[in-house]
Amino acid sequence: MTGATGPADHSAGPGAGGGGRVEPDARFTFANERTFLAWSRTALALVVAGLGIVQLLPPFPGVSWGRHLIGVPLIVLGAIVAGAGYGEWVRNQRALRRGAPVPRSLLPVILTVTITVMALLSAIVVLLSATR
Amino acid sequence: MARERTRLAWTRTAIAFAAVGLAVLRINVAAGVTALLMTPLIWQAGRMSGRDALGRARPRQLLLTALAVTTVALVVLVVVLLGHSTSGFHPPSRVLGRPG
Repeated sequence: MTGATGPADHSAGPGAGGGGRVEPDARFTFANERTFLAWSRTALALVVAGLGIVQLLPPFPGVSWGRHLIGVPLIVLGAIVAGAGYGEWVRNQRALRRGAPVPRSLLPVILTVTITVMALLSAIVVLLSATR
Repeated sequence: MARERTRLAWTRTAIAFAAVGLAVLRINVAAGVTALLMTPLIWQAGRMSGRDALGRARPRQLLLTALAVTTVALVVLVVVLLGHSTSGFHPPSRVLGRPG
């Protein structure tokens, strides 16, 4: 790391180098902020998708709870993504201040796994309703 | 340029809130109004983003945004769990080509 010009600008001014926490380069702060906003929009989309499934889809024949089974987890996931997105922003900003590597994000994994599970559940509900 | 991109990201987020609010308004007034009321807050937070010449982190504005999304999600969840089940969306007959 010696001589490396990383996200933490150690020539940022007074207090630079004190405890290794300095205001990072503005570009990295803005990039972190844009990432958070992207997660927020993703969370909104999940909430709307869940609401649309519950309110706009016709009931599955023979599976009266089908719409809620698919829609409610999406809405809950949206709330989780919103909160987790902020938590990741805080974590990333802290790493940027210290000049440490930005930690790996868990949100893509959470999103992928949850949506995969929801897709499988949806397939099961559709098959169940087709057989009833 | 990074600041401009960030401002645009805030604008997209505010538009997303407004679009969600308008779309949801048709389904449920409480959830739609909640999302619409968040729009000016998000818009204002985004405008303040461009004023900081040093590009410092703004945890309060971001926390407000996260809380806004979470609030919309919770309102929608309550509506879904406690509201009455609808029979689904039925387009008007003229859309289906049937005599109205």
